[in-house]
Amino acid sequence: MTEIMTLRNVSVHFPVRGFLPFLKKGEIQAVSDVSLGVRRGEIFGLVGESGCGKTTLANTMVGLVKPTAGQVLFEGVDLHSLPREEFKKTRRRMQMIFQDPFSSLNPRFNVYQLVSEPMVIRGEDDEETMKARVVELLEMVGLSAQDLYRYPSDFSGGQRQRIGIARAISLNPTFLVCDEPVSALDVSIHAQILNLLLELQERLNLTYVFISHNLADVKKMCDRLAVMYLGKLMEAGDADKIFARPLHPYTQALIAAVLDIYFSEEREIVVLPGDTPSPINPPPGCRFWQRCPKAMRGCKTVPPAFLEVEEDHFVACHLVNGFPNQDLPEGFDQPMVGREKVPGR
Amino acid sequence: MEQVLKLRNLKVVFPTDYGLIRAVEGVDLDIYHRECVALVGESGCGKSVTSQAVMRLLDSPPALIRMDVLEFDGRDLTQCTEAEMQEIRGKELAMIFQDAMTSLNPVMTVGNQIDEMYRRHYGDSKQAAREKTVHALELIGIPEPKERANSFPHQLSGGMRQRVLLAMAFACMPKLIIADEPTTALDVTIQAQVLKTLRGMQRGCGTSLLLVTHDLSVVAKMADRVYVMYAGKIVEKAPVKELFTNPHHPYTVGLMAAVPRLTDEKKKFTQIPGTVPSPVHKPSGCYFHPRCEYATERCRREMPRLEPMGRDRQVRCFHPLGVGGKSSD
Ligand SMILES: Nc1ncnc2c1ncn2[C@@H]1O[C@H](COP(=O)(O)OP(=O)(O)OP(=O)(O)O)[C@@H](O)[C@H]1O
Ligand SMILES: Nc1ncnc2c1ncn2[C@@H]1O[C@H](COP(=O)(O)OP(=O)(O)OP(=O)(O)O)[C@@H](O)[C@H]1O
Ligand SMILES: [Mg+2]
Ligand SMILES: [Mg+2]
Repeated sequence: MTEIMTLRNVSVHFPVRGFLPFLKKGEIQAVSDVSLGVRRGEIFGLVGESGCGKTTLANTMVGLVKPTAGQVLFEGVDLHSLPREEFKKTRRRMQMIFQDPFSSLNPRFNVYQLVSEPMVIRGEDDEETMKARVVELLEMVGLSAQDLYRYPSDFSGGQRQRIGIARAISLNPTFLVCDEPVSALDVSIHAQILNLLLELQERLNLTYVFISHNLADVKKMCDRLAVMYLGKLMEAGDADKIFARPLHPYTQALIAAVLDIYFSEEREIVVLPGDTPSPINPPPGCRFWQRCPKAMRGCKTVPPAFLEVEEDHFVACHLVNGFPNQDLPEGFDQPMVGREKVPGR
Repeated sequence: MEQVLKLRNLKVVFPTDYGLIRAVEGVDLDIYHRECVALVGESGCGKSVTSQAVMRLLDSPPALIRMDVLEFDGRDLTQCTEAEMQEIRGKELAMIFQDAMTSLNPVMTVGNQIDEMYRRHYGDSKQAAREKTVHALELIGIPEPKERANSFPHQLSGGMRQRVLLAMAFACMPKLIIADEPTTALDVTIQAQVLKTLRGMQRGCGTSLLLVTHDLSVVAKMADRVYVMYAGKIVEKAPVKELFTNPHHPYTVGLMAAVPRLTDEKKKFTQIPGTVPSPVHKPSGCYFHPRCEYATERCRREMPRLEPMGRDRQVRCFHPLGVGGKSSD
């Protein structure tokens, strides 16, 4: 299968300034050395906790953020080597659906203006054509011509997300990034919006990158996925393989964190302790070591390689891949005790 | 058992340019000592309005509020002055909101904000208050609490901020805490952490908890008893185990099915058909009938009453599922 989107060793760093603008304090490594491929026609999941760099990576894919290093290839062409006009044209074929349906729509625009705006920007000016197209789009997302002149404030969260989707597909994109499209919505609306996305994908032959922190949604939506932590890929590949045999302790923790709906007497809540550490000047070893229940002494300093353990199943973990043979600290394969993980030690 | 909260026949109406919004239509709530009661329902069903009315935080106007009984810890809150309410709020009746960023003061350190609770309600000195604050932060699982107390809200992560709200709510060991969607804005991993802490604190302190949420998977982990709300009315009330093992109202069944499970089939999500009715134009008869696959002519004409159904259970439905040989699937 062909790859529609390929990332080659992509890094995105943001400078952190000190109290004077020229005093550079360090940098936020929002995305570090990420390589992955999204195949045409699939739903590719991007998973991880808040702040791990999912949105930054997605923005890089659609050309909104320029990578500090590495290449972004869309249909085999390096996005950032394109001349300006070509770049703009290509970018129209990639669209985004945002997390927050409340702030992502301009409240002073009515539905017609919101949905037709991308067409207007492209240079469309025939009102009749545009109106017909907008009505067609609204019907596709489960709204109707009656809604044309209503304003975002008249709609519920789920309906606003439908408006956002209509807008995103208005220019016939081939590649759509859905950035946590249901996180801000009720559970009961999740299902409606995700079913709509699945239906549109089939109907319009779309490729999705689906961003989420809920592994249950990802398991149901995605064909392939990548698990991110603090800017780096922890595990990636075929969804069925990863869910059948999650190898990285972080993936395992994310799966365990999904609350199931059945009532059980124990009512156990499985917790991955701690918070994501700061992405400013992150540690040299595995980025997950401080929260990893299985961390070994070597994990702190030795960076794990990202290796293919079975076909289309990659993982970056010393537990799975073993340590490399050089420069290992003493007791590298000894388990880390709790106190060693306290920050600042 | 000692009753902490008793609410009878709460009605809240908002007059608007395009008609009356009947946000809450006759809700009864009972909360007993040490229990966690969940109020569940979709966006707009009146959960927040109900909890604000209980706290007497709802502005009137615009809201028109009526209730027959509002008793908290044996006291009639309907007769309290605003000054008396301010004394009760925070100290005996505390609230945790969904969005920590808007309920914390952005220009004050979180330590000072918690100190304030002790100083206002107990008249503690600055030093004594800070000692208690650090202890509270430690209890709630914040690493390096002494240093963290000097952080401003924006310097903390979302989960950390939510924990600060928990510390504030539990500061004065209130009788009842109302938590309105306390984890909805958080990641699954951080949600699990905060829920576990909240549950531990609630049990440890012997506080009663009213947990407002739209997510039944949270209810399954936290609640002792559950009220399911739809379009301003309670449609089902049950102890948690009974609710999950044998839901009676078709809406409850729909809400349960909507929670995605790791064991589900791929590429298909179970949804409740249709949408929540507009609060200005609610349907005739049972408000849920347009979305209900079991609806009959009677459901279209007549609003069912909330009828008792076994021990400590009630359901508002002419054709309840899972009773008398009928099963819920
Ligand atoms: N323009 C920017 N300037 C500086 N730092 C940034 C910028 N954009 C993102 N960051 C930082 O990069 C890191 C990754 O952010 P990003 O928004 O990509 O995370 P995310 O995984 O999408 O999180 P969330 O789930 O909260 O949306 C964060 O630490 C964030 O603060
Ligand atoms: N100040 C107000 N003026 C007019 N209508 C209001 C006001 N506050 C609430 N409402 C209406 O009352 C109804 C119930 O709102 P409420 O906030 O209680 O819902 P909720 O169940 O908490 O939903 P959510 O899950 O979205 O928080 C809604 O239809 C809402 O639009
Ligand atoms: Mg994001
Ligand atoms: Mg609410």
